[in-house]
Amino acid sequence: MFEKLIQKGLEKSAWLYHLNTGSCNGCDIELVSVITPRYDAERFGFKIAGSPRHADIIVVSGPITSQSRDRLIRTLAQVPEPKVVVSLGSCPRSCNVFNGSYCVEGPLDKYAPIDVSIAGCPPKPEAIMAGLVRAVEILKEKRRAMK
Amino acid sequence: MELLKRILYILFYPGLLYCFVGGLVLAGIDRKLLARMQKRVGPPIWQPFYDFFKLLGKETIVPRNAAKRAFLAAPVIGLISLITVSLFIPVFKFSPFSTYADLIVVIYLLTIPAVALIVGGSASGSPYAGVGISREMVAIISYELPMVISLLAIAKKVGLELNNGIMTFSLSQIVEYQAQNGPLFTKLSMIPAFIAMLLVIPCKVGSLPFDIAEAEIEICEGPLVEYSGAPLAIFKLNHAIKMLVMTSLFVTLFLSGSGTGILAVDAILQFILSIVVVFFSITILKAITARLRVEQTLRFYWTYPTALALLSLILVYFGL
Ligand code: SF4
Repeated sequence: MFEKLIQKGLEKSAWLYHLNTGSCNGCDIELVSVITPRYDAERFGFKIAGSPRHADIIVVSGPITSQSRDRLIRTLAQVPEPKVVVSLGSCPRSCNVFNGSYCVEGPLDKYAPIDVSIAGCPPKPEAIMAGLVRAVEILKEKRRAMK
Repeated sequence: MELLKRILYILFYPGLLYCFVGGLVLAGIDRKLLARMQKRVGPPIWQPFYDFFKLLGKETIVPRNAAKRAFLAAPVIGLISLITVSLFIPVFKFSPFSTYADLIVVIYLLTIPAVALIVGGSASGSPYAGVGISREMVAIISYELPMVISLLAIAKKVGLELNNGIMTFSLSQIVEYQAQNGPLFTKLSMIPAFIAMLLVIPCKVGSLPFDIAEAEIEICEGPLVEYSGAPLAIFKLNHAIKMLVMTSLFVTLFLSGSGTGILAVDAILQFILSIVVVFFSITILKAITARLRVEQTLRFYWTYPTALALLSLILVYFGL
């Protein structure tokens, strides 16, 4: 009965959970700049949630370090379906400049399927917004597939 | 006929439907105004509806070490008690369920959503929720004192005039008094209580400087940390309805009067006044302050608002 409203809701109100797996902080600051008055992602309903249980989109930044690997796996498992994994920056895709380090166990696709990846080191806020909008579309598709 | 009317009251106007729509619209207006104050475009006013329906479409996870029944029942209990409160609050002269001492009923019922939050949080078995519920208890202790004292001041003030000097706890009598003598906030002795109640509202609804229990950044929304899907949606709804109920209570206590006599007009007027109260007591405070620490909240409430409420009570006894 509510399916139409739920689809609309997913489109208009995706909550982000930001997961830092050893990033250099560059990507984190760019993600935060997306919710500042200049870019204001809240007008599309994006909101940073405090707990993975509330999240729809998990934004992962950083090459997976060995300290953060278990946390990454456990956090991703805690997110309720439907969920979308977004990789932010070059690090989660390729480990970037940290590749080959003794404490880096990336890339991210060893542990979870990536739905959207946003390129850049760090990506521009506009690119992040574009990626998030794409993520919302995938979120809706996943909900449709769940039915 | 009487029964049918009551059912209509419960399901539609001051009850379920009005609480759902009014509360979420009020929350949306609050978010929009906040965004405009921060020079943002902000979400659309319907944003809380989108949030609500999205959460309905998510998976509901019950943690393995949670007490399942209490975990799922807590939000519903909070919702039911809030809707009950809404039935007791008169809209100008229209009061669907009027009793002799409805103010006391309202005070008790308004604590239940906070208790539901505590029950739900402790049932979820998360350490973050543990921290959150202890903070929620501190919040209850801090705002309850000034709130009850200012309500006593109002009760005495109205009782002196209408009830031979005996305190009256009947909300319809408070409205009656205001219909005869003008809104209560114009009385000199009521101005301190007015300010005290204005300061109590943000803590009661858990908005920014006093949202110690649900601090997103420190303790991941405290008692709500393990909730997902439909129960979380109901908790968010409770939050919005709490805002509506507290502001309507405030409007009834201080800004009421005889109204126009037509229910629809009165209802709209009440809602507009609620928006104004939300703007002054919640949105502005949210935009200009940062979160207080736990003991700062307690100290704040037990000094300034309590002193103001006491001052009001003393002024009432002097007959001002
Ligand atoms: S992609 Fe670049 S900016 Fe982002 S975390 Fe990696 S090194 Fe830092």
